[in-house]
Amino acid sequence: MLSREEWLPLARKLDWNYSYVREDEVFPEVISGRPWLPHSEWKDWEESFKTSYREYVDNQYEKDMAVQAVRDAVGRIENVQKLALPWLNSLKIHAAALPLAEFTGVVGNLRGARFGRDSAWRTMATFGALDEYRHTQIPLLLFHPLLRLDSQFDWAHKFYHTNNWFAVAARHFIDEIILGQNAIEFHIATNFVFETGFTNLQFVGLASLARESSDHMFERMVTSIQTDEARHAQIGHPVLATVMKHDPKYAQYLVDKWFWRNWRLFSILTGLSIDYLTAPDQRPYSFKEFMEEWIIDQFLRTLDEFGLEKPWYWDLLLDELDIYHHMIYASAYSYRATLWFNFVIPGPAERKWLRHKYPKYWDDMDAVWEQISERWRTVGPGAENEFAVHGTAMPTFCDLCQLPLSAGTPRKNTARVLVHAGRKYIFCSEPCQWIFLHEPERYASHKDIVKRVLSGEAPAELPKLLTEYFNLTPETWGKDVHHGNYEWLGNRKDPAA
Amino acid sequence: MPVPLYGFLQGDTVGLLILAEETETLQALARKLQDAASLRVAARGAVRLVYKDKTMDEGLTVAQAGFEALDRFDVLTG
Repeated sequence: MLSREEWLPLARKLDWNYSYVREDEVFPEVISGRPWLPHSEWKDWEESFKTSYREYVDNQYEKDMAVQAVRDAVGRIENVQKLALPWLNSLKIHAAALPLAEFTGVVGNLRGARFGRDSAWRTMATFGALDEYRHTQIPLLLFHPLLRLDSQFDWAHKFYHTNNWFAVAARHFIDEIILGQNAIEFHIATNFVFETGFTNLQFVGLASLARESSDHMFERMVTSIQTDEARHAQIGHPVLATVMKHDPKYAQYLVDKWFWRNWRLFSILTGLSIDYLTAPDQRPYSFKEFMEEWIIDQFLRTLDEFGLEKPWYWDLLLDELDIYHHMIYASAYSYRATLWFNFVIPGPAERKWLRHKYPKYWDDMDAVWEQISERWRTVGPGAENEFAVHGTAMPTFCDLCQLPLSAGTPRKNTARVLVHAGRKYIFCSEPCQWIFLHEPERYASHKDIVKRVLSGEAPAELPKLLTEYFNLTPETWGKDVHHGNYEWLGNRKDPAA
Repeated sequence: MPVPLYGFLQGDTVGLLILAEETETLQALARKLQDAASLRVAARGAVRLVYKDKTMDEGLTVAQAGFEALDRFDVLTG
């Protein structure tokens, strides 16, 4: 019997020559990806973990038991009820966005497990698929039972099956990066950019916020998931290195494109949680500080290691760190009934903190919050007044990222109109337009929410749009967590009265 | 037939879909956008409407100004 050290290299590196089919028939470019290269160019593909299936199962079992133990200890509804209301709504965002996105990761990795160009790559992608299945199950296990506490947790299962505008945006991203992608672009975009570049936001940043918020269940969940991510994210590096060697321009394009698309989504997922849905005294840092330390600096070092340039839009991205997620949060607050979680207005202490952390544009954002606050002062607090402090005109969306046209600053929105092949498109920013123009055949036929309304595909009337198209109900659509009942507004009602 | 337009009010955080009537003046159109964004942006007296990088005569109608469906216009202060 072979020892582990003798057997593993044989099992991991098990490639052979084909006798009755051509290699490009076994690995067609359309699904394996480009550049199409013979296996001789991939045969040195290597990663550092080199785990065996038995070791994998043993490790995962231990990790699952640890999650289970924390769930048993602090995951009961009465534990969750003790969490601060804003943080609970951060959980609802992640409960919806995470589980089924992870499930698409199973599909993406299985594509790599079949169409990856070297056996060691395919072995690692098989483990990656098993990882992602686990990352689907854990949040569903932990979050969906919270439906008994709050019907908005129903969206843990429901989110990606709706035409809610944020689900449309998330699906547009996930479908492209994972579900409909060839193996090479999938592993560069998902493992290298998404997991190496961005998931620190979720798995380091949010884990520490969860700890500060005394949410030990969420902390354990994301920490457990991160240990898997750290391993299968390694697939992306040797794939990128080979593409870089043979087609550096294409490698640079993929990195530029996917860093921008990831930034758009994560700035909302994580930016709102850090800067608005965590109590100020539980925020160890701002979203911008975290991005600078854990994403920007590290990603630039990694790009340098591969001989890649900074994305061409880098200065724009750095500027957006100061403003984009603030624009989105204020917009989303004023259209909160279109989402499945609740919002809080930043009060004077929070706005002081935000001004300190984001001095560049905060004056303009402060004016927006003052205006919204004034509306609550005028109409008075109460659930019955929610729609008196809510937008009525239809907000607009980018034809690439599908997110609201909220880029730029309050002084100058950077949306831009483009006529392409006789049809009019609008983009939130120059990078979104740039991505569209590189692959118009991929994006041109997709309709954003506004185009769906104008074509009659979605109802124009807000109540019908919310209930019939966004799949929301009066119980589940987003509200102000206090219904405008803030002491600092000077019009607080006694909840007991 | 209303003309759907992308309206951007200076001071606001999101662009809005504004359904313009071909016969309404640009002054009325600017006011319509200000009303639609009033939850987030306080009304200001003096504004100007910018379309294709030009400040427009507020007395023109939407049709006279040549607005087409899904064009962008901006309402700026000062």
